[in-house]
Amino acid sequence: MSQRTRARGLAAAAALALALTACSGGSDGDEDGAALDNRTGAMEDYAAGDQFTATEPLTFSMLFSDHPNYPSQDDWLLWSEITERTNVTLDPTLVPMSDYEQKRSLLIGAGDAPSIIAKTYPGQEDAFVSSGAILAVSDYVDLMPNYQKKVADWGLEANIDQLRQADGKYYVLPGLHEAPWQDYTIAMRTDVLDELGLATPTSWDEFRTTLEAIKEARPGEYPFSDRFSETYPGGNLLNMAALGFGTSAGWGYNNATWDGDAEEFVATAAMPEYKEMVEYFHDLVADGLMDPESFTQDDDSAIQKFVTGKSVAIGTNAQTVVNEYEPGLATNDPDATVAKIPFPCGPVGCVLNPVTQTENGIMINADAADSPNFVAMMQFIDWLYYSDEGQEFTKWGVEGTTFDKAADGTRTLAADVDYVGLNPGAPKHLQKDFGFAGGNFAYGGATELLWSTFSDAEVAFQESIADYDMIDLAPPAPLDEAESEQLTLIDTTLRDAVSQGTIQFILGQRDLSEWDAFVADLESKGATQYVDVVNGARDRYVADNG
Amino acid sequence: MVTTVETSAGPLPARTGSLLRETRGYKVFRAFNVVALLGVVAVTLYPFLMIIARSFSSDTAIRSGRVNIWPVGFNLTTYQLVMNDAMFWTNYKNTVVYTVVATAIALVLTTCYAYVISKHQLRGRSVLIGIAVFTMFFNGGLIPNYVLITSLGLKNSLWAIVLPNAISVFNLLVMKAFFENLPLELEEAAQIDGLGTYRILWKIVIPLSKAVIATMLLFYAVSFWNSWFAAFLYMDKSELFPVTVYLRNLIAGSSTAQSTGAAAADVAQVSANIQSVTMVLTVLPILCVYPFVQRYFVSGVMLGSVKG
Repeated sequence: MSQRTRARGLAAAAALALALTACSGGSDGDEDGAALDNRTGAMEDYAAGDQFTATEPLTFSMLFSDHPNYPSQDDWLLWSEITERTNVTLDPTLVPMSDYEQKRSLLIGAGDAPSIIAKTYPGQEDAFVSSGAILAVSDYVDLMPNYQKKVADWGLEANIDQLRQADGKYYVLPGLHEAPWQDYTIAMRTDVLDELGLATPTSWDEFRTTLEAIKEARPGEYPFSDRFSETYPGGNLLNMAALGFGTSAGWGYNNATWDGDAEEFVATAAMPEYKEMVEYFHDLVADGLMDPESFTQDDDSAIQKFVTGKSVAIGTNAQTVVNEYEPGLATNDPDATVAKIPFPCGPVGCVLNPVTQTENGIMINADAADSPNFVAMMQFIDWLYYSDEGQEFTKWGVEGTTFDKAADGTRTLAADVDYVGLNPGAPKHLQKDFGFAGGNFAYGGATELLWSTFSDAEVAFQESIADYDMIDLAPPAPLDEAESEQLTLIDTTLRDAVSQGTIQFILGQRDLSEWDAFVADLESKGATQYVDVVNGARDRYVADNG
Repeated sequence: MVTTVETSAGPLPARTGSLLRETRGYKVFRAFNVVALLGVVAVTLYPFLMIIARSFSSDTAIRSGRVNIWPVGFNLTTYQLVMNDAMFWTNYKNTVVYTVVATAIALVLTTCYAYVISKHQLRGRSVLIGIAVFTMFFNGGLIPNYVLITSLGLKNSLWAIVLPNAISVFNLLVMKAFFENLPLELEEAAQIDGLGTYRILWKIVIPLSKAVIATMLLFYAVSFWNSWFAAFLYMDKSELFPVTVYLRNLIAGSSTAQSTGAAAADVAQVSANIQSVTMVLTVLPILCVYPFVQRYFVSGVMLGSVKG
């Protein structure tokens, strides 16, 4: 989410420039994929499960986000093995990861983008759609059997529908996950829980009672001091809690939330569920269970409180446990242990958001459709990004060189290769020395593949939430240009007002009796207008596309 | 980032034992000056010292906020990590090359341009000034600039960084003001002695302009040294990047984990002091240049301001 907002400014500028310059070019991608005569190098009977190999050597340009921790090397096994297997040479344009989105906007705007534009989060393509610079990939998915199979097998049609623009097409090929992947949750000091004889909380209610018990045992400290408030106050915490309370907030906040029962979008902050969530956190703060600084402090301050034992609960993801909390605790308190608690359930039950089943993927330069080897490129992308073999290859590398596979399918890294601390001290690194498991290629995949590099603790966490239900995905409601402009004007004002009000109510700076006034104020800032426009777009989409 | 300290040379030296006797008021004034300026020095220096200290401290000490102006848990791991990377040195070399070439070109062009527009008798002078000043307020924007540079075939070459920013209009105007201040009689005398325009510039004006040239040198060198955006736009290969882009990317890498929280593949493991290490590594060399040009610098910046 934060990435998306950051890119929005430049993307909008690029889109504007495009609208001015790109009127001339662009193919209308309505042709039927199978009837294309641009089949140079393409395979005749390419089907799901087949190894793609171009019938003649091909080169495709690609925009590549270069990660500082494993900068691209020309001699990576990744590059040579891709050529070996597919007869395709990738020609990457290296862009430092720090400013990847800006350069991507620039290159697309200047009409200079490579054919394959990697690492694009769904939603980021919006800015480029109207210019015609990006290929409507939905017109060509019949060239991609593995992709279609994964969408069907994993039931991702609703996720894909969310990507659709007003013309009913979509412009980004997302990374696909077999199941939702919830990484963020709350980490707690398990040694403190054990010492006090407390069970690990599994819901927000239990979380509260656990904090109460801890507070009783150690008065004077706030048992819960949260982080991830740097870009958005309570960004992670409210985002997580909103799921269980049945609304949207924090990083995932949207001014319009889909109400599955009423079959329409409703104004988020006016939802009773939203108020309920705010009340819950208000009570935590009011009762001294949660540090009021949780919403304002930077991450380092929160980490410091946690690793020095002042707090016993903090927001987390898998990495922060291993990289930040455990090392910090080890120096301050060698007996301390920390673990993720199961993703807390809320009043609406134990739910996850299936939106995490699509993640960053690729856009394709519209000019590529005119290339003689366009079909081969789509087949190549299909194999590399969406086939089981391709996904295993980009993540684990080459069997026998970087990893070995047992008869039961368990993969182990080669003894001289390290990755995420699986082989500490090994001389080579899967990402740095071979180029595998990097963010440009390895996204999504089967749950089995995703979990294959997780630690035991992380697998245990994932298993604890495996049988959670999923919330309804919002149906597509693509805005036209005028609507989108209109909503952009309201969106930020409304968003800021909600965020500010939410924090004030939680911290007790504003009394909860003023809630109705708060909602009325949002009304005057255009909350209803916003929802009406979205609902209108929804109705229009249904009328146009069924 | 290192601009104001020099003003601590501010108060005039008191000539003890000369005509002026120090009044009490003057003593108080001086004491106050010393205290105030020491305060300014402390305020300016403190963050810098803290950054240096952090760059030598251990992760845990930084995370638990124990580092002040002295390193805690002395550690060189991040320095080693950065400096053991061959790409770091390649990019550092690039920075030096880009800075030297760009500064040289910028100095030549700015001096020539400023000298021309400082001549009041020149016809069309106001147009030339207008052209320069126009670019201070209006520009073609990012994408047209990119298209221009690319179509000229400058992409992935030194010239893409050096040429588009060769003349800074602000510097140009400062230099123009300086040249206008030079006594016209000097040049007339030289003319009578038979020197042509170019030799007047070379033999008379330039030697008299050391102060402003040194100032421009510093301005340009610092800005080129710190710049990363042009390189980021026009370079597609990591071996062409200046060190600023390298280090910027490194910082981004160390904060990926929290901002995206997404793919495990993007886990960043760079330690907490990468930011301070970066600052130390980029600032130190250019900082070393300061003492050598400082005596020109103090008089140089004042120049343009005296006469408009």
